[in-house]
Amino acid sequence: MLKAMIKKEFILVLRDKHALLALFVLPAIFILIMSVAMREQFSKDTLEFSLYVEDLDKTQISKDIISSIKKDKSFDITPSKDGASFVITIPKSYSDDTEKKINILVADSIKSDQIEIFKSILSQHILDIRFESIANSLEELSSDAAESISSLDTSSENLYTLKYNESKSIPNSTQQSVPAWIVFGMFFIIIPMSTIYVNERKQNTLSRLNSMDISLLSMMMSKSIPYVMINQVQVWIMLAVGVFLVPLFDTPALEINGSVLALVILSLALSVAAIGVSTVIAVSASSTEQATTIGGIINILLGAIGGVMVPKFTMPDAMQKFAEISPMSWGLDGFLDIFLKGAGIGTIIGDIMLLFIFGIVLLIISMIVLQTRINRGL
Amino acid sequence: MIKISNVIKTYGEKRALDSLSLDIKEGSIFGLLGVNGAGKSTLLSILNGLVEIDHGDIEVFGFDINYHIKEIKKISSIIPQSLAFYENLSVKENLDFFASIQKADKTALNTAIEINSLGELLDQRASTLSGGQKRRLNIAIGLLNNPKVIYFDEPTVGVDPKSRNEILDSIKSYKDLGITVVYTSHYMAEIERICDEVAIINDGKLVEQDTLENLLSNKVSDKISIEIIYSESVDALGLNMSDPSTIQTKENDLFEIVNTLNNNKIAIKNIRYGSSNLEKHFLDITEVDNA
Repeated sequence: MLKAMIKKEFILVLRDKHALLALFVLPAIFILIMSVAMREQFSKDTLEFSLYVEDLDKTQISKDIISSIKKDKSFDITPSKDGASFVITIPKSYSDDTEKKINILVADSIKSDQIEIFKSILSQHILDIRFESIANSLEELSSDAAESISSLDTSSENLYTLKYNESKSIPNSTQQSVPAWIVFGMFFIIIPMSTIYVNERKQNTLSRLNSMDISLLSMMMSKSIPYVMINQVQVWIMLAVGVFLVPLFDTPALEINGSVLALVILSLALSVAAIGVSTVIAVSASSTEQATTIGGIINILLGAIGGVMVPKFTMPDAMQKFAEISPMSWGLDGFLDIFLKGAGIGTIIGDIMLLFIFGIVLLIISMIVLQTRINRGL
Repeated sequence: MIKISNVIKTYGEKRALDSLSLDIKEGSIFGLLGVNGAGKSTLLSILNGLVEIDHGDIEVFGFDINYHIKEIKKISSIIPQSLAFYENLSVKENLDFFASIQKADKTALNTAIEINSLGELLDQRASTLSGGQKRRLNIAIGLLNNPKVIYFDEPTVGVDPKSRNEILDSIKSYKDLGITVVYTSHYMAEIERICDEVAIINDGKLVEQDTLENLLSNKVSDKISIEIIYSESVDALGLNMSDPSTIQTKENDLFEIVNTLNNNKIAIKNIRYGSSNLEKHFLDITEVDNA
């Protein structure tokens, strides 16, 4: 029985050309356009920070750091503190005392995303010089150890990123666009789901099924399973777009650093959440027009809040906190952790659990709403 | 046999069924008449287990609806007024789907296709069928579980006369298969044509239940129908005409009207008690009930 119902649902969705367009073509186009369009925006090369450097240490290390910073096109070194976006001060005895830290003074006008990017670039310079210094010191004691540190230094780009990721990471345009539009696209199932649901209810097919002793749970499951599968196909097609298609447009390809299993489980959890939202709208709406309009608005709102339209790291702190209410944000955070930090299930288990619980609660609410409507003669 | 005893169903403050009692004989074609909001659809929903009753007893082929709804659903089928199938599936896909979920056997599937003349339409997308063909598919789906009783909820709405005839003929043939049919329609002529017995309900109450023959000849009031051969002179007499050849009157006025017609040389074909057809009787009886 369940097999027949799932088959029916599949045929209906696959014959709905508009739904297929919304589920597969639209997100793919979004990924492509947004990745290419935002490429420059996300590229560090195009960013320029006005910077004043104050050296109280006046040692070889501090001089090397300043020299390294001056060579970086991202920084525009200003002759005075006035008008500089950032003032960095290398404290006295910085070279000798590893506990001492460089102080960064940020101008009021600087947004949090710019600070993050600045910190990311600066830390790279500092780490480079620090490693070089350690290697030089070690050379006197052990040339092997020095060589080892030196090689670590030259090949330590991943190490820097990894260290920085422990606080916060900035994705490139592809890393931001692919998961964002995957999440958004998955929630687009509201369109076919609500169309089929409302039509079934209005044409009394649902009550006919009910009179045939088909339980609500079976109905819900038969409707949910095909969309879980469709969502999974969506995820892998969109990932393929990020990995293979986006680089053809001179834009960074998507790199999946984390666990594939985590990716699969996160996608399933997102699917449950998307089905929950779609079902609750589909069973509550009285017409397909109403369902698709409300569904579309909710989708856009969740996307806007959750960092799909505007990357979360560019939002003010208060807004970033507010973004946490959107299930799209949970999904997006999970994907970014996998892509940027190479996260496994353990790291993103919180996001996964939130999505599962959110989806299941909405499905239970949907069942109650539907049962009430059936009792009232739909 | 379906036995409905003192059933009460209330929606909010409105009593949709008010101590309704009915007996429907096994193997009969039973007509259920009532104006919109009389309680017909509520009764059909209850009989199909879609809505629960507040009070009373219903027994369907020996099964108590309060305890054996699953068994009742297995032997019942409802043909809803709306086209309750999937427009984007073909006729065959629709039939296969509804057959699969009810675990119907191939014989039932073939019978449903044959009775409803759907053999040549199997590969056609349901959305491309004509109104009559869609109705036939809607009915065929209801036959797939080999039901003992089928409830038809106005199955010929929006259907052309030819298809309507085919549908009515097919419904009559269910009687030969031993299936009990409960039929609601706004078209009284259809009820007259196919039903053995009729119940009229109004405001959730049973107004009358009898065989069609008895209902039409019943002296439910002192109303009398006089059928005449139409002549233009009748128009000037100011009589209560229900149609150009039928005068409606009461027993007290009968003698005077017959005299008037004789004096005007208007030929009388027939004089009968009650209404000349079910529609008139229905209007008479609901009028009396609402008075």
